Amino acid sequence: MTEPVLEVRDLVKHYPVRNGLLRRSVGAVKAVDGVSLSLGRGRTLGLVGESGSGKSTLARVLVGIETPTSGEVLVDGEDVTRLNRAGRKQLRRDVQMVFQDPYTSLNPRMSVSEIVGEPFAIHGIDPAGGRRTAVGELLELVGLDPDHANRYPHQFSGGQRQRVGIARALALRPKILVCDEPVSALDVSVQGQVINLLEGLQDELGLSYLFVAHDLGVVRHIAHDVAVMYLGRIVEEGPETEVYDAAQHPYTQALLSAVPVPDPSVRLVPAGGSPPVESGVSTGSTNGERSTNGVGSTNGVGTTAVRRLPIVLEGDPPSPVDPPSGCPFHTRCWLAPTLPEAQPDPIPSYPPTDRPDAGLRLVPSVCETEVPALDAHPGAGRAGTPTDPADSAASHVVACHFARELIVPGVGA
Amino acid sequence: MSAHPSTDQHPATTPASGTPLLEVTDLAVEFRTPDGAVRAVDGLSYRVEAGRTLAIVGESGSGKSVSSLAVMGLLPDNARVTRGSVRLAGTDLLALSRKEHRARCGEQVAMVFQDALAALNPVHPVGYQLTEALRARRGLSRGDARKRAVELLDLVKVPNAKARIKEYPHQFSGGMRQRVMIASALAMDPDVLIADEPTTALDVTVQAQVLRLLAEIQAERQMGLVLITHDLGVVAGVADDVTVMYAGRAVEQAPVVPVYTTPAHPYTRALLRSIPSAAGTGRLPVIPGRPPSPAAMPSGCPFHPRCDAVRDVCRTEVPPLATPAPGRTSACHFAADIMAGREPAAADADAVGPTDADPAAVEHRDGHAMAADQATVPTLDDQDTGGSDD
Repeated sequence: MTEPVLEVRDLVKHYPVRNGLLRRSVGAVKAVDGVSLSLGRGRTLGLVGESGSGKSTLARVLVGIETPTSGEVLVDGEDVTRLNRAGRKQLRRDVQMVFQDPYTSLNPRMSVSEIVGEPFAIHGIDPAGGRRTAVGELLELVGLDPDHANRYPHQFSGGQRQRVGIARALALRPKILVCDEPVSALDVSVQGQVINLLEGLQDELGLSYLFVAHDLGVVRHIAHDVAVMYLGRIVEEGPETEVYDAAQHPYTQALLSAVPVPDPSVRLVPAGGSPPVESGVSTGSTNGERSTNGVGSTNGVGTTAVRRLPIVLEGDPPSPVDPPSGCPFHTRCWLAPTLPEAQPDPIPSYPPTDRPDAGLRLVPSVCETEVPALDAHPGAGRAGTPTDPADSAASHVVACHFARELIVPGVGA
Repeated sequence: MSAHPSTDQHPATTPASGTPLLEVTDLAVEFRTPDGAVRAVDGLSYRVEAGRTLAIVGESGSGKSVSSLAVMGLLPDNARVTRGSVRLAGTDLLALSRKEHRARCGEQVAMVFQDALAALNPVHPVGYQLTEALRARRGLSRGDARKRAVELLDLVKVPNAKARIKEYPHQFSGGMRQRVMIASALAMDPDVLIADEPTTALDVTVQAQVLRLLAEIQAERQMGLVLITHDLGVVAGVADDVTVMYAGRAVEQAPVVPVYTTPAHPYTRALLRSIPSAAGTGRLPVIPGRPPSPAAMPSGCPFHPRCDAVRDVCRTEVPPLATPAPGRTSACHFAADIMAGREPAAADADAVGPTDADPAAVEHRDGHAMAADQATVPTLDDQDTGGSDD
């Protein structure tokens, strides 16, 4: 593996929560809470997680839109968090961002040539051959007609607008593109076009991508390595095949199993019969019994299907203002209560309004008290070598006290 | 509808036990725009039976949402139904006055929208909103309404329902808000529930919860469910029957399994191929170009400029609705060939116009091809994309 082009060490971003007349700080939203990762040159690191997991905040810190509370961000070995204003401007030449919503991230009053050429103006660069030529080349690079440079964003479709956003990000020849949900606002048939464009550009220009997305199928397609975030922390990271095919963290397993698979022979909704899942896995959520006769599933799904029940997590992720003690996932973990180490939990560790059964839920005490470190668990699955910090993207690491390989087979997009 | 042993593969062949709950026949909807009338839905037919789920799949601008607004009598003022019928338990809703139409729908058909935060009123507690219909139509007292609101929230598994009916929509998380939406749709005990992208804005883990909840409630009450979505994964997981829409038309209708195993329309086939899969390395097979603007419909088959099996006839003639197999329809001149996985027999196999076997070539060309049709500024499809596909 090549030397990482981007390295993040113990990155923390807290937003103060202010209250009362004097706007005193009464707490903090722990959006990113100690994240370390590295991105190899010419590679794509996929960052997945639910909304509120901190993945977008992390992306914004990396491009310098937000300043971190603590921690280091190394671009080509240089720590960019301590840069002054001029230094940050220089950083932006190396690290550019593609935004999620092509409808709001382009100024409607600027023509496409102004939008794509703006980085040159801001950085005072006169590209060889003139700005106009450079803009034309950039538009061609992303598959747009250079003759349309004088049009305005509203004259383009969503997919074309996203191409404009990509052209703008490429103007300064960056080393790294941070893509925050670049295709989630697009139609299915257009998503593929933009993904192919990004992959083509990577081959052509040797770019490295940090690809933030909630669509696990898209990430699996484009990423070489995948990091899974939960409540501001990375809970699992490794090569794409390891994370998808041999997930070890119970959260990753739940996330993967919840992805709807475009194959009617693996039903998300049970089509009759008893669920082939341990009782601890889908606690409290009774499965919809759909008997073939009564409901009228006459298409054979009810009888011939290979059933794949998702691990249904209870409730929503806890608030990052007041994350649970110990392992941040223990309040929703489906695995912990099934473990022999599970102990009675006398004190509800999370606001009781959200979890009326907090006192009844049994989880191992180590999950409640100790934050699990992000370590390799070679015994847990097919995971490879122990972690070498400089080479962490190549190995499979997981932050769980009881990491083990996927128990629900057949999962994956 | 009752199971029929001989129709395991093709349930739609048995029009079955009596009348369906909801039957839409040859529906057409037009929008008045400054540039003239624009047809958003053109000849859509489907039927919904008790306890079954019909998924309507399509991209933005395909008419999937407009068609359900027409069913509900909720079309905006600049739109009107030009053709067709919507029969609810035998009564043609479109023959009724607008007021009667909405009254009938209010009793028997309910709708769940994608964006629960926008669909709920921010200045009223959720309990009040849940029972608004009950108080208005059934004259429930405030005490009874409150009791009913708690029952409804319990039904959709919102924890601590008694306390939460006094809270406001912003105090609920996205998944909980969508549960509130479903609860309010269930308040009148509808026969048919139309859910327009109910889980698109939710995280996958929460999506799984909501889909499971919908399926449970449907099975319990034997409701007919119309699920409008663009996500073929969701469709495979919960639907019994599938209608694929493109440019205002139903291009393919079939039970769920054959849609995935032997798609009979090139658009369905291309959509399925363009889903990123674990096996796929290299470039994704994509559909070149983009859906046509309803204001500038291509001649012949509306899909022909993007089709990978296009023939001469496709450019000039609108394909009739073929029946490539019992219980299935496909609006393609070569439906049987597509279904069998054959290349359509053709006189001009080498005259395959704007498409190309090499996706990379298409990729670079489509920018220009798309830009070429920019003379018509996209209207409907772009508004739709902005609102619904985030």
